[in-house]
Amino acid sequence: VISLPQDWFHGGVPDTVRIGADVYLDSSYAFGGMRSTRDPSVILGNASGVYDPSALLVGPDGCLEIGDYSIINSCTIICESSVVIGAHCLLAWGSVIADSWDGGAPLAARRLSMSQRHGEGRWPVAVLKPRPVRIEDHSWIGFGAVVLPGVVVGRGAVVSAKSVVREDIPEYAVAVGDPARVVRFLEPDDHECRHTIDRYRRRPS
Amino acid sequence: MSPAVRLHQLVPGGKIAGDWFAGETPRNIIVGPNCLLDSTFTFKQYFSKAAVGLRLGRDVTLWRTSLATEAQGVIEIGDQCFLANASLVCAERISIGHRVMIAGGVTIVDSDFHPLSVLERVGDTVALSLRGDRHHRPPVTSRPVHIEDDVWIGWNATILKGVRVGAGSVISPGAVVTRDVPPGVEVQGNPARPVGAPA
Repeated sequence: VISLPQDWFHGGVPDTVRIGADVYLDSSYAFGGMRSTRDPSVILGNASGVYDPSALLVGPDGCLEIGDYSIINSCTIICESSVVIGAHCLLAWGSVIADSWDGGAPLAARRLSMSQRHGEGRWPVAVLKPRPVRIEDHSWIGFGAVVLPGVVVGRGAVVSAKSVVREDIPEYAVAVGDPARVVRFLEPDDHECRHTIDRYRRRPS
Repeated sequence: MSPAVRLHQLVPGGKIAGDWFAGETPRNIIVGPNCLLDSTFTFKQYFSKAAVGLRLGRDVTLWRTSLATEAQGVIEIGDQCFLANASLVCAERISIGHRVMIAGGVTIVDSDFHPLSVLERVGDTVALSLRGDRHHRPPVTSRPVHIEDDVWIGWNATILKGVRVGAGSVISPGAVVTRDVPPGVEVQGNPARPVGAPA
């Protein structure tokens, strides 16, 4: 377990979490629901940030990858198999990214799953096979939005606040509502972004 | 289970060793065997003065969940329920059956907590201010919420006052439920409408 300096939460960061250079972590609270037995369990890209109160709920077989410079601003990420968030992504507060949701499982299976939860090992065990989720580079997930299993949110796309994404969103699309529908496309002006990245980096003093 | 997930036995009227929040569990609660929670922060907004303000069955798990009650509020939760990062805000009664799954970001309320009348809302802002008296607010209607057995409630869903969700139904993530949901259906959207029967 890795201890953060001046951490208000005592859980610590599991040592299977790979932390890149210049990563910002509000506290280890984000890892309070970690159950992954994989190594690495979570990869935090260089200069990414995870802000409280996020919950990175990585299940026993899950691996969560967050790209360089991406901002996870109080989000819930459910990762039973694979959630990959690209570089320079914005995930707003209250948003949820999930590769596992058992609401579609048969009633008998759901009932069995709930009634088997005893003792310490009672965290939900996925009934349906998880379906990996990918949030591609430069995309933006609005506040309170939910991205459901199997979805790919394309590069540069915007998912508006409180939307529920049930199918893939194409690159550079703006998607709105439940189910999320594309309402327009953005100019793909980010193909050469090195200059912009350099421009906003802090100058060495 | 990974050591990162720390759950503790829920015992009425006590502290939790190593709790990040300096609180206590209330005394006026009845807890079945083997109920676990992560922190007494769950009860930060619990103000029930009822003889029993919270009744839990057995094997209930409360993780990062808020059980907020006003003085008359009563929350009942059946056996083997799992609540993760949910908010129950209760003025009168919220009752939840057995094996109910409540995902993150869910809000369940049995009241609007303020009057609809414009004039009475003006009065409410005064009553709630430091110049008023919180015990003399305009009347607010509440209507109990019932969640029957084997219901699954998806992330960021909202269930409003007076709603009964029938057994086995599924509230799709993000739904805003304003009316009763019959048993054995899935509802989706705002306002939530049936999208068919779950498998």
